Formats: sequence, C-alpha cells, structure tokens
Amino acid sequence: MQKKSNFRFELLMDAGNGAQKAGDILIKAFAKKGVYVFIEPIIPAEISPPKRTPFSLSGAVIRLSDSDITNIGSFSDLVLVEHEILLERRLQDQEFTEGCTILLDLGSKKRAQDAYEAVEKKAADAGYNVVSFMISEEAEALIKSLNGNGKNMYYLGILACLFNVDKDFLISFIKQTFKKLPKDKLDSNIQIFEFGFNAQVMDEADSLLFEGITHKNEKVLLDGNTALALGVIDAGIRLYAGYPITPASSIMHSLARLLPAYGGVLHQAEDEISAIGTVIGSYFAGVPAITATSGPGLSLKQEFIGLSVASEIPCIVVDVQRGGPSTGLPTRTEQTDLFAAAYGSHGDGPKVVISVANVDDCFYVPHVARYIAEVCRLPVIILSDYMISVSYRVVDKLKQSKLDDVRKIDDFVLDHFYMNRLSDSIEMVKENQNSPGIPDQMRRVTGLNTGSSGAIEYSADSNHRAHEVRSKKIHAVRHALKMPERFGSDSGDLLLVGWGSSRGAIEEAVQSLVNDGVDVGGLHFKMVYPLPLNLTDIFQSYKHVVTVEMAYGDSLKATPFSMMLRSETLCDVQGLICEAKGRPIKPIYLIEKAQAFLKEVQHA
Amino acid sequence: MPNSDVVNPVTMKDLKSSDPRWCTGCGDYTILVGLRKFMVQNQIFRENTVNISGIGCSGRIPHYMNTYGIHSIHGRAIPIALGIALAKPELKLFIHSGDGDSLSIGGNHLLHGIKKNFNCVYLLFDNQIYGLTKSQTSPTTRQGLPTPSHPSGAMIEPINPISFALGAGASFVATTAEWMGNHFVETLDAAFKHPGFSFVHIAQRCPKFNPSAWNFQDSSWLTFLVDEQAGIAADSKSAPDAKVQSYSPHSYENAMAISKDVPNVFGLVYKAEKPMYDKLVLDATKNQKQKDLDDLLNDYII
Repeated sequence: MQKKSNFRFELLMDAGNGAQKAGDILIKAFAKKGVYVFIEPIIPAEISPPKRTPFSLSGAVIRLSDSDITNIGSFSDLVLVEHEILLERRLQDQEFTEGCTILLDLGSKKRAQDAYEAVEKKAADAGYNVVSFMISEEAEALIKSLNGNGKNMYYLGILACLFNVDKDFLISFIKQTFKKLPKDKLDSNIQIFEFGFNAQVMDEADSLLFEGITHKNEKVLLDGNTALALGVIDAGIRLYAGYPITPASSIMHSLARLLPAYGGVLHQAEDEISAIGTVIGSYFAGVPAITATSGPGLSLKQEFIGLSVASEIPCIVVDVQRGGPSTGLPTRTEQTDLFAAAYGSHGDGPKVVISVANVDDCFYVPHVARYIAEVCRLPVIILSDYMISVSYRVVDKLKQSKLDDVRKIDDFVLDHFYMNRLSDSIEMVKENQNSPGIPDQMRRVTGLNTGSSGAIEYSADSNHRAHEVRSKKIHAVRHALKMPERFGSDSGDLLLVGWGSSRGAIEEAVQSLVNDGVDVGGLHFKMVYPLPLNLTDIFQSYKHVVTVEMAYGDSLKATPFSMMLRSETLCDVQGLICEAKGRPIKPIYLIEKAQAFLKEVQHA
Repeated sequence: MPNSDVVNPVTMKDLKSSDPRWCTGCGDYTILVGLRKFMVQNQIFRENTVNISGIGCSGRIPHYMNTYGIHSIHGRAIPIALGIALAKPELKLFIHSGDGDSLSIGGNHLLHGIKKNFNCVYLLFDNQIYGLTKSQTSPTTRQGLPTPSHPSGAMIEPINPISFALGAGASFVATTAEWMGNHFVETLDAAFKHPGFSFVHIAQRCPKFNPSAWNFQDSSWLTFLVDEQAGIAADSKSAPDAKVQSYSPHSYENAMAISKDVPNVFGLVYKAEKPMYDKLVLDATKNQKQKDLDDLLNDYII
C-alpha cells in the first residue's frame, strides 16, 4: 500500500456509459473522508455520439490532495479506460505522467485485436505501464441484464479497491446517488460494483491510500454553476431569465429547482435577446434580475446591453465562456469573450466586467455584480468559463451574506473581489431614477440621448455630458479597486498575469518557481474591466510582464488580455501562454514556459 | 379602476408630457389622444401605468404620456413588458409597436408574447410602411407598392396580422382604426378589461410615406363586426357609410374565416379565456413551500 498526498487519475468511457456518475460517487466518498478533490468532467459536444469512436470520449479527471487544491493539475498518474479507441484519442492530449498506469479493459479486444495491440505498444513505448483486465463473466451477465448499463459500477469498484476506500462506505454513496432506481436495478448495480471491487486488477502492494484529514470547518462540495446559482439567491436576486445554451444551462436548471422556494421566479425565454429584455424590464420595475449565457448568447444580447447603459437600467449578464467563435468548442474551455464583454455593444457603452476563478468567487459574484449594477445603474457582465462551471471542489461552507439593500453590502464580499465601497455621490445622466408605482415621479427612459431631466436632448453639450457621466461611473469603480491578488516576489525578473480561471495554475506555478529560486511574481485579476489604477508601477517593478490566457496569440497577434494591459499601462506585456486548445492551463507547462522565457531573454 | 385612496381624478392634462414630434396628419396623434381619453374614462392612475415601446414612430408614444415608460430597442418591447409583469404584476402595461417592429424584427417576441398570454394591452400601429427609416417595404406593405427598398414594387403579399395573432393562439384579437375615435377608445376599453395578452390591430395613417394605405375619408369599404353581448359597437359617427355585420367573437373558426377580410373588417374578432403565463409563473412561486435562506447550502454539505 502506498500513501499518497497528491494524485491525479481519470476514468474514460464512451459517452452515455456513466463515467461522470461514477466519478461523482467516488469524489463524494473522498470528500467525506477529508480528502480535497477537484474534478473536471470530459464531455463530448454531442449528446450520444456513436460508441467506440474517438468522438465518444467522455469521462472524469479527478485530482486528490491532502491540502487545498486550486486547479486540475498537469498530468494523470493513473487512467482507467473502457477501450482502445478512447485511449488512442486521449493519448493525443499528452496529459499522462511518465510511468502512468493505464488500466485497459480488454472487453473489445476480440473484435479489434490489431488496434488494441497497436495502442498498447504505443502506450508502452511512451513509457506507460499498461495493465489490462477483463470484466468478470458474472458481472458481464448482470450488465447484459441491465441492457448494457452498469459497466461504470464495475470500474468504480476497481477504483474504490485501488484507493482502499471502504466498500460499505462507498455503497452508501451509490445508494444515495441512485435512490430513484427500482430496488432490483439498484441491487444489480451494487453487485456489479462489488464484482469490480473484488476483481483484484492491481496487486495490493500497488494500491493507494489517502488518509485524508478531519475537517475543522463544515465543508461543501460544489461546482461553479451551482455555486453561482446559490449565490444568485443569497444576493437577493428574484428573477432569472435565460435561454438554453451550453455550458450556462445548468445555472438555469439549478435555479428552476431552487428560486421559487426562495421567493423568486424563473423564466425560460424564447431567445437570448428576450431573456436580457426581461431582466431589464424586471430591474426597471425595481426587482433585481439576472441572465446567464455563453459566447453566442452574449453577442445576441449586445444591443440590450447598450440600452441598459443609455437608459441607466441595471442588468446582470453571466457569460460562461467556451471555445469560439460560433458554436466552436461548446464543451471545452477558453477565455476569449473578454473584448466582447468589455468593449462589446455599440456606440461607447461603458460597463463593468467581473471574472471568477473558483467556486467561492461564483457564490459571491452575484452580490458584487448587483452592488455595482445598482449603485452605478449600468450593466455588469460576469465572465465564468466552462472549466469553472463544471469543476467540483470541496470548500469551507460559504458564509452567507443575504444581500438585501445593496448599499449595506458586507465588507467581506467586497474584500473578496479586492474592492472598496463605491462613492456615495456617483452622478447619473438622469436625476430621476424611480421605479413604477411611485406617485408623482413618473418618468420615461429611452435609448435616445437625454439631459438630466430625462427628456430627449440632441444638443452637442448634452450628448457629450451623457458620455462623460457614464464614463465617470466606470472611473468610480476603478477608484474603488484595490490591488488584486499577488503571489511570489513583489519585484524581480518576471510577473505572470492572468484573470478568471487561470488563477490556480498561476498560484501553483509561481509557488513552484519561487521554491526553485526563480525571481517571479504572479498577479491575478477578478475585476477585469475597469482595471485598478497604478498598474504601471507594479509592472515596472519586474523586468518582464507576461500574461497567461486560454486564448490564441502569436508574434503578430496579441492575446486579448495582454492587449488590454498594454493599452492601459503602456508596458510591454506579452502573452506567455496563448493557447486555445480547450484544455485548462497546466501548472507544469506554465513553469516550463516561464523558465524557457527567462532563459531566452537572459541570452538575448 | 382607481388604485389609490387619494381622489385626484386623472385628467387629460395630467397625461400630457413633452410635445409630440410626429409629422402633420400622422395617425399617431389620434392614437395618443385616444389612449389618454381611455385612461381618463377608466381613471387609470399614471404611476401604475407603464407604456413600453420598441423603435419607430410608434416608439415615441411613451415620451408623450406622463406615466412611467420605456422606449426600448427595435422589436423588443414584449420581453421588457414581461419582465415588468413578473416583477410588479399590479402595474398596467401598454405595449406600442409598429408593423415592422411587431412583424419583422420583433416577430419572435410577438409569437411568444401572444402565446404566453401575459397581462397587457398590445397596440399594433399598422401604417403598412417603415416610417422613421423613411418609407421602406414593411411586412404589411401592399404587394406592388413601390418603395425605396423595392422600387419596382413590394414583391410578396403582406402578412395578415390578425391571422398571425389567431394562429399564435391569441386570447383577444381586435382590429380598429385610429381615425374612428369612439371605436378606438371602446376597443382599448375591451382590451384592457380582458385578462391576458390583448392584441389590438390599429389601422394608422402615414400621410408622409404611405397615404394610400388607408382611405379614411370614405367609410363604404369597411365593415364593423358587432355582437350585442361581447363586441364593440359600430362607430357610425366616424364611419357613417360602413356596413355592419352581426358576428360572435367566441368562435375560433369564425375568427380565422373573417381574418381573411382584414383589413376591411373592424371590431372584436376573437375572445377566449386562456391560462396566463405570468400568473402561472407567479403562482408557482406563491404555492411553493418557502425555504429559510439559512438552509441554502445545507444540501451541499459533505
């Protein structure tokens, strides 16, 4: 038995065969034992792609640790895979560590002898340790009786045994997960699990042990979209309007279940445009509202975002980014909506963009978005991404804020976003901002330019003033921003800068580089537009400033965030990681790139 | 219906806001006056009224009514109105939209607004032309009419707004003309009293760009649909030569059949009681056992 404190493994199966379900059960058991977990589902863009094809790759990547983890890590130490085609496909991603153990199910080998042998050889040549196994005949018979379902339970059994998880402890989680299944089917699933558990695919000497810790605080297990949905409720938002789009839809699903029980309403709109229109209508009537979407939906909402700016009706839009453009990679991650969020819409419409890096951020971002949107009366766009939306984490039970009057927002929520309280004297274009129902305050809002009385005005001065007032709202937010989160050295050779979901990789990479004696710092932004003042001073404390982004860039095309930072600071910010591979950034890759970069500039 | 204890009757003057800026002879002036008359007759309080519009000449109405109002973006007044209906169901909502706003850029919202049957009065200002963008072909432009976008004449047959509304499942469909003052106000009255999405088609003059669309000086071409119990009375003052046809607005089949005669018939085409989406959504929350906010995260504790 080998004690482990940090380990990454993955379960790969054909889509629809329940790999994520098995992964969820396993991480719940780990989490309960006090092990920190981070899970990244691998989901195909199609619902049921043909099985035994590369398109069918589905699964769960799971990272375990004795201490808090902020990202999915770099490489897997162990892989359990259903058949040779999925292994072949996943080998291309180069995410297995040297000497990685690959447990390969030989169930399909009879019909694909050559392919199996080829991929086994390829894996062995790459230095991986391929261990093959067959599902037992009794288990196969049960799987057949369940119309082919239940193979995931066999694999779950193998993994549970391998990690020395108590059998009955794990079965309790299977029962919890499948509580709606008829008893005979549940029993068959448990039996299949037990066959897997007893299969002895690996020697006991090779089995792994995570002792876990006893948590002092109460812990919760949440993914980003669920945390965001719960945050919407805690932030006092009472209307959600949305249109189905991957990967934002699960926010709507959670709120459909929860919002009515907390006094709110859920509206599925006829399209993306309508959804934000309903949010704006609700806010005009004085009821805080939110919509969530993904890239293409953000494009569709842009005209209404312009109206929100001009009419000074607040609105909150969540954009769970995915690979683009167009349908792009709907189940892969990217950070390429930055410009669409910060500079989108038409005719100079200043707005605020806040990003999230983890489950905690997702929970508190609706609060701070509401605060800024309502105090400044403008649109606030929240940028999440696929990786954050689907990744589960164990975190301390989140302290609730129960936001009602935004002026009384808790300091700890603002602190979480590195922000001070906004000024009490932010000027509006229109003096009267009352909601319907209030006598003698009747007012009309419009997308046309208006003066301070709210009446339409086309004069040169009045239009210029309106632009000035709107821009100054953004300046007020800028003035309220504190220096964002920093890691490592506060001056030196290199500063790694990122926003949103790159936080975990930056923190881990900087820590590792500093431990190796490299003079490097890290800077991570949650507020991405506007940016805080005095960034130039910070940037100038380092010889080089580079960004870490999940976005394409090259020598002739700067990445979005580096371009934004260059224009804001006039510093020579370059993209260090400018990749659009749809995979989260690996800390090890960041470390290697940083080292290579420093080597190159020192030799130049 | 008065909704305040303070008895300050609403007057025509109270409802005036800034001065309208439409062209001389524009039918929107009479719609504005008719709307004010209707509010005074029904004593609808200004603070509880929201006029919502898209873009176009019709879109300016909210500015000229001293109520709450939103002049929003092209074709998208309905989603905003629904947001207001869900947030504050006690408010009285009037949506103003032109033929292009309703049936071109806003067609999807109109389809779903009608189907959702949420509580509002929908006024479709039909002048059969794009006005504010200067005379392009609209979805209701008569086939063959030369326009700057179709100099050889509008190419396809116009959309029939009444058939569209009926097809979408409307619970209230009426058609009137702004120059027939009494008929117009009475139509608004019936629409307002109907619970749900009340679709009112209004023949509207555009002397600038499409003067031939509606012959308002002669009334021999039009027919009033009249039903003693449910309908809207014929307006003999405004249209002395009009024909009058006895018609029951309760039959969907009759409504679909008569819609073929649009735009020559005026009156209440169809009326039925249908479930209202706003009520269903709000009731779902009302009927749900409310949870304590302190328990929000309990299901996620490990």
